[in-house]
Amino acid sequence: MERFLLLPVFFPILAGVVLLLKKEYQKRNSLLVYVGTVLIITGVCACYAVFGVKEGLTLFQLTKEFPVYFKIDFLGRYFSLVVTIVWILAGFFSFEYMKHEKHEKRYFGFYLIVFGVLLGLDFAGNLITMYLFYELMTLTSMPLVLHTQTKEAVMAGLRYLFFSFAGAYMALFGVYVICRYGTTIVFAEGGVIPAAVLQEHGTLFLVASMLLLLGFGVKAGMFPLHAWLPTAHPVAPGPASAVLSGVIVKGGVLAVIRVAYQMIGADFLRGTWVQTVWMTLALVTVFMGSMLAFREPVLKRRLAYSTVSQLSYILFGLSVLQPEAFSGALLHVAAHAFIKVGLFLCAAAIIYRTGAKRVEELKGIGRGMPVTLWCYTIVSLGLIGIPPASGFVSKWHLASGAIASGIPVFSWLGPVVLLVSALLTAGYLLPVTMQGFFPGEGYDASRFKGKEPSGFMLVPLLALAALTIVIGLVPNVLVYAFEAFAALLM
Amino acid sequence: MGEHLLVNYAEVVAVALFGIGFTNLLLQKNMIKKIIGLNIMDTAVYLFLAEKGYIEGHIAPIVVNGDLSPETYINPVPSGLVLTGIVVSVSVTALMLSLTIRLYRRYHTLDLDEITMRLKKEGL
Amino acid sequence: MEMIRNFPCLSILLSMFSAIISSAVKGRGARRINTFVVSVVGILSACTLYYTYTTGQSYVYVMGHFPAPFGNEIRFGSLEAGMALFFCVIMLLSLNGGRRKIQMEVDPEKENLYFIMVDLLLSSLLALVYTNDLFTAYVFVEINTIAACGLIMIMESGRAIEAATRYMIMSLLGSGLFLIGLCMLYDMTGHLLMSNVQASIQAIAADGTYVIPLLVMIALLVVGLAIKSALFPFHAWLPDAYGYSTVSSAAMLSSLVSKGYIFLLIKIIYRVIGFDIFVQSRIINVLFVFGLAGMIMGSTSAIRENDIRRMISYSSVAQIGYIYMGFGLGTSAGMAASVFHILAHAATKSLLFVSGVGLTDVSGDHKEFIELTGSAYRNVCAGLAFTVGSLSMVGIPLFSGFISKLLFSQAAVQSQIKMLPALIVLAVSTVLNAIYFMKTVIRIYTPVSCKYKSVSIRENPLYAFTLLCFVVLNIGLGMWSQPITDWIAQGLSVFA
Repeated sequence: MERFLLLPVFFPILAGVVLLLKKEYQKRNSLLVYVGTVLIITGVCACYAVFGVKEGLTLFQLTKEFPVYFKIDFLGRYFSLVVTIVWILAGFFSFEYMKHEKHEKRYFGFYLIVFGVLLGLDFAGNLITMYLFYELMTLTSMPLVLHTQTKEAVMAGLRYLFFSFAGAYMALFGVYVICRYGTTIVFAEGGVIPAAVLQEHGTLFLVASMLLLLGFGVKAGMFPLHAWLPTAHPVAPGPASAVLSGVIVKGGVLAVIRVAYQMIGADFLRGTWVQTVWMTLALVTVFMGSMLAFREPVLKRRLAYSTVSQLSYILFGLSVLQPEAFSGALLHVAAHAFIKVGLFLCAAAIIYRTGAKRVEELKGIGRGMPVTLWCYTIVSLGLIGIPPASGFVSKWHLASGAIASGIPVFSWLGPVVLLVSALLTAGYLLPVTMQGFFPGEGYDASRFKGKEPSGFMLVPLLALAALTIVIGLVPNVLVYAFEAFAALLM
Repeated sequence: MGEHLLVNYAEVVAVALFGIGFTNLLLQKNMIKKIIGLNIMDTAVYLFLAEKGYIEGHIAPIVVNGDLSPETYINPVPSGLVLTGIVVSVSVTALMLSLTIRLYRRYHTLDLDEITMRLKKEGL
Repeated sequence: MEMIRNFPCLSILLSMFSAIISSAVKGRGARRINTFVVSVVGILSACTLYYTYTTGQSYVYVMGHFPAPFGNEIRFGSLEAGMALFFCVIMLLSLNGGRRKIQMEVDPEKENLYFIMVDLLLSSLLALVYTNDLFTAYVFVEINTIAACGLIMIMESGRAIEAATRYMIMSLLGSGLFLIGLCMLYDMTGHLLMSNVQASIQAIAADGTYVIPLLVMIALLVVGLAIKSALFPFHAWLPDAYGYSTVSSAAMLSSLVSKGYIFLLIKIIYRVIGFDIFVQSRIINVLFVFGLAGMIMGSTSAIRENDIRRMISYSSVAQIGYIYMGFGLGTSAGMAASVFHILAHAATKSLLFVSGVGLTDVSGDHKEFIELTGSAYRNVCAGLAFTVGSLSMVGIPLFSGFISKLLFSQAAVQSQIKMLPALIVLAVSTVLNAIYFMKTVIRIYTPVSCKYKSVSIRENPLYAFTLLCFVVLNIGLGMWSQPITDWIAQGLSVFA
């Protein structure tokens, strides 16, 4: 029974490798059928594994103390569902989009491999397994960044690689320390390190946890190691930048939650300088990301900066170490995943149909592509945090959690920064809608005439917009679950 | 401290010679001088060994007149080691000399640094 | 099963006689003899490994009729046998991977000489691994050096001869120090057999006499072998020697010759000086510092390098630094990690050299990075193998390099003082490794319209098969390290 866990992880990886090794397809359709089938099968298997398999599985022993071990706990279940939904939607979007890119086979091959690796990351049951899949995630997502193989892409890819490796090895220091002193390396609520050891080696653990947070924070674009993100995400093909920005960055968030709450333990970090530094960095990133996005003229880059900012909402929610903020952060994981993928897919659809990349070129686009722009508007409202879209609920919980925590300065500074950043978010997202629908004088309407994309593109967009609304309308199911989980952790 | 230096003068000489040979092998530019340094270094070691094996007033370890008492003879092992060492150092010296000949035929100089400079200039 | 106890001696003699026979035959015959002998020695070592591992003991084999303390002895336990087996495997793979290059670069008249040198190298490595006599060890150190020098200069280009000369000079300095250290040791203890020496040294250390001579002696032995195995700052000869010799030579030099010396050093530490006395001496702190410096400096030099072969060579300096850092930790866990790293580095570095030559071959024999752009598409299997090797060097989980880093860090956290510097340098050097290896990997995967022809796997199936074996070896070390660490622990326990 527990063997079934391997299927959603290794089936797409194998299918991707097979695809890479195969000869070029004669007909494009057969490639699409292959990829589509693999995506659907993996999705079904993942759902079955998530809801059906309760036991853990030790695959093999890496060394005596460290097995490669899979187990789906609450976090894994939640993250893997988000990954599955987004990955399948963006995959179907790619079917249309990749027509205008070269090397489709390679793209889809790596797309499938990363899918498996991400599920492996979510299913990982101990620290070493998580680290393993974390590194694999960096490596296998590399080709997606490099896909266009222009000089810009190669430089961005290099930067992505160096930042990720530097972060991962910073974190590795902490991993070593945990492996040395922890009673186990299997994730456990409230941490695995005995209180006496924490007392004795206090400074060591503070330094280790700071390095862990900084290191895994790299993937989540936390200041000061965020510089790779705005260059790496936009150079990828549209759907790839969507999943990079929407899902892969969440790998960093997952790793941060795992180490901070399930390895070191929230109680140890609360009130230490590590928490202060963490909160400060998160708030700085929130503000700075929004500012940079506000000034950025290229739409995809603007969205990437927005990712920097939004990811730090999540990190801020985690850094408060308070149950309500924690559940807000977790909710924002799903909300941001759907929203950001939706935004990037809209941008991709626009580029695909019209070639327009800069914001000022988008005047009057609502006349030609109304459905796309409506989807864009709906998910934008979600990101800004206007009810009833999903972002509102998560931000509400983040802010009220911060206030309830009662930490000096941050309990009021946090919500203020979040609010200012939300205004900035409105400032950089809504002009596209405004000018798209109400272009004013002097624009070329014929450019966008009848450019509405085909069903392959529209259906994922509509689905994402609908998900944004649904989460905003009925968040309580999720929020109760998160609060129950947070109660276990803290 | 000082009195040991005088008593063990042979060891002192050996170590001094070893130092001289070592520095020559390391620092000389000329290949032939380097090889001479190598030989001085090895010889110093043999001197050291021979001195260690030799016992004042004892004779060569060959049984004559049926005298089997160990008090009569010197320690034979170091002498054997010296012989082995000489064989090794001869073969190494031969190899070094053959390398030197090849370098000299090609570059008409014995100065190793100059050869390196020239190789860098050629960009090979 | 008693018969297996003859195998170590038999394998040394076999490889030596094959060198003599090879001098009478032509190149191809010499190659066949060599392949045969290496395989046979590998099988013999495997039998020995099985025997010693199952009995869990080490055995003494008396050469000739003189019993200890005067005769010459061979001593073998599972660690020695396993190391011999591993050396045979790497040697066979390196030679097969570089076979075509040997045929191209070596004068056909001299091809048999090349294989004579390889046979001699094998015999001296085996002797270094198995011998229990210090002076025998010295003699075979010199034979090893001469054979290695022959392997470097076989190409007869000016660069190769110059590199061989420099290699020879540094090696001779090292062996001179080693020899004088040996003589002082003999002076102090009156023995040459390792087990007897250790008994005397323990008596001396217990007495508290000869403290300074003992320290000087340990320092001389260690520094001598450190120079020969290219520990930073004695590494100046290394990049030329590895960079300008034929690829099989480079692979064998980096993964076998230097490892043979390191193995001898381990042997001296455990069996001659005694692990505790070695740890008490302050030499280990020096080794620790030099090891750390090597890890950083080797990598920074590699980053600055513009030639792929020299870059891989400089990376060896860094990896040797890891091994000495493990010695410097002064715990048996650190030792075990170093032994594992010897295996991991040998498997990875020879893979990198062999796959690197596949890449330069399809780039018009240029070694500069700019010419290598896109070469992974022109030689697919070499590109993949190089990527695997790089990932292993960087320390990505699932490959051998990660396990050795894990073992090093586990060993490091046991020590209070050395933990922080070791872990920090480990992390920094890993990032540096990532910089130059990933740079290269991306470079070879950057497509470019180019003038060079690509080769398919079918043109050189042996090469592709060799690379496959290397990759399997690497991943095997990375994924099933448990039996190997068990074996190392058992081997080290019966080693002293």
